Amino acid sequence: MINKYLQIYKECIKVSFATASTYRVNFLLSNFILLVSNILFPLVTVMIYGSGASFPNWSFYEVLLIQAIFTMSAGLAQILFNGVLWATMRYVIDGSLEIVLIKPVDSLFYLIASTISLESLGLLLGGGIMFILAIVNVGAITLLMWLQFIVLFLSGLLVMMGTSLIMAATSFKWVGNSRIPEIFDSINTFGKYPQSIFNKATSSFTAFVIPVAMVGYFPAAALLGKVNLSMYVAIIPCILFTMIGILLYKHMIHLYEGVGG
Amino acid sequence: MDTITVKNLTKTYETYKRGSGFTETVKSFFHREKVTVNAVNNVSFNVGEGEIVGILGPNGAGKSTTIKMLTGTLYPSSGEISVMGYTPHKDRTAYVNNIGAVFGQKSQLVWDIPPIDSFNMNKVIYSISDKDFKQTLDKLTELFDLKDIVGKPTRVLSLGERMKCEFIMAMLHKPKIVFLDEPTIGLDVIAKQRIREFIKEMNALGTTFILTTHDLEDVEQLAQKVIIINHGQKVFDDTLQNLQLNLGAKKIVHLVLTSPIYDNKIDGVKVIEKKSDFEYTLEVDLENKSISTFIQSLTEMCEFSDISIKELPMEKIITQIYESRV
Repeated sequence: MINKYLQIYKECIKVSFATASTYRVNFLLSNFILLVSNILFPLVTVMIYGSGASFPNWSFYEVLLIQAIFTMSAGLAQILFNGVLWATMRYVIDGSLEIVLIKPVDSLFYLIASTISLESLGLLLGGGIMFILAIVNVGAITLLMWLQFIVLFLSGLLVMMGTSLIMAATSFKWVGNSRIPEIFDSINTFGKYPQSIFNKATSSFTAFVIPVAMVGYFPAAALLGKVNLSMYVAIIPCILFTMIGILLYKHMIHLYEGVGG
Repeated sequence: MDTITVKNLTKTYETYKRGSGFTETVKSFFHREKVTVNAVNNVSFNVGEGEIVGILGPNGAGKSTTIKMLTGTLYPSSGEISVMGYTPHKDRTAYVNNIGAVFGQKSQLVWDIPPIDSFNMNKVIYSISDKDFKQTLDKLTELFDLKDIVGKPTRVLSLGERMKCEFIMAMLHKPKIVFLDEPTIGLDVIAKQRIREFIKEMNALGTTFILTTHDLEDVEQLAQKVIIINHGQKVFDDTLQNLQLNLGAKKIVHLVLTSPIYDNKIDGVKVIEKKSDFEYTLEVDLENKSISTFIQSLTEMCEFSDISIKELPMEKIITQIYESRV
């Protein structure tokens, strides 16, 4: 069974690449634009530090590291999960989810696999360049710190996945509302900065309720040797957040009513 | 042996009543009236193995909703469905492995890549072996004469070619039952005919087909049994022959006279259309008068240069059923 699902995923990647290569110029251009715009993304941070101001107790490269990790996580999420939101909106409006439900596989898996978007590779690459730039300037990183980083980074990806699924699930009821992602984008912004600059209520909310701190800040803290127990505790809400996303989406598929023929 | 059993199938859903015009739109922004729609209402029927069954009905009658529930992609509000021993909405993943579906207005093909890549995707999804895949694909592409087409991007194909590819997508895993929701919609006569021939060929090999359509030619050429749904309720469920007898045994007679007649009354005969004093279309009720008696009366009454006798058109039968029941 797992082998079958891996084969389907592999085939979906092939299809995604074949689709992307159909419109080569669009593919290259959108990746280039994403790459450039994301390299420019930390401009505000550059200006803050350039003017002599700073986030208290955080160096420029430390803040850049948080933002680089956030961008990489956002890039991976856009490649792997975000397509499900737009596809769901389209299917619900057209009443064409049947073409997914008619496949003898888990519908959620198939939706995620068939909406892989290679057009966001530029975002991942942009984050990667910033990450390298930050990492060579923040001091030595031990193997343990890397392992902690991987665990927390993957937990952050779970948050991104849960976010995509919750947004997609709401589009079953809140049909055609393309503003939903903007709400989550606003909340996600809290993950781009050191949590120490926020008040206690905000940092608790972003760590344990909607755990966006796990997307950028916590994995960066691991690489900077600033990790603490509460960051590991925050893995639990990340898993719960993803599970809520999966269960909610499956529930909405159950409620799906299609449209008349 | 019945392969599909449907008992008291019902699907209701709630929607909102929205007015038209600016004032109504503003009103509905603040208060919307809930409306319960009975899309399918207490429908029961059986389908035997290897049959071709046509589901007919006007727009919004509940045909597509019924077929979606039969494919397991829509949950019924109440009632029972059993297809090959499966309850479609409960055992969806295992069940859909055994069925195929073509939704005439919804494509399973990926728009920007050639159909062959979409077929390869189904090969993996349905775990079809390399050997079976090649054999079935070769056979189907040959039947549809699509060998050179399947390698071209889907977006450059004609509607007819795309529809044929949709059929291949649905048939690659050799399903026992295939559901077709308006499979010939928008196609030209040649493409329609090719698809009908394909359905007949597959049916001869044992595949059961359930199709919804607005094209009565589809039903006349394919269906052994017809189910008519109107306003969510089943209003007819019988063979095609019995459908034709539904309005009584009647014939349509087209008549061209050599000279006009003024006393044209024959018992059991109705004038449907009078194009001129020389040309008439008549409806003969065979329960009151046999064709030979009618011709005898006609010969005594007038002289004619041409006469044709036809069955009651299917459109008329269906229209009368749509209008008279429920």
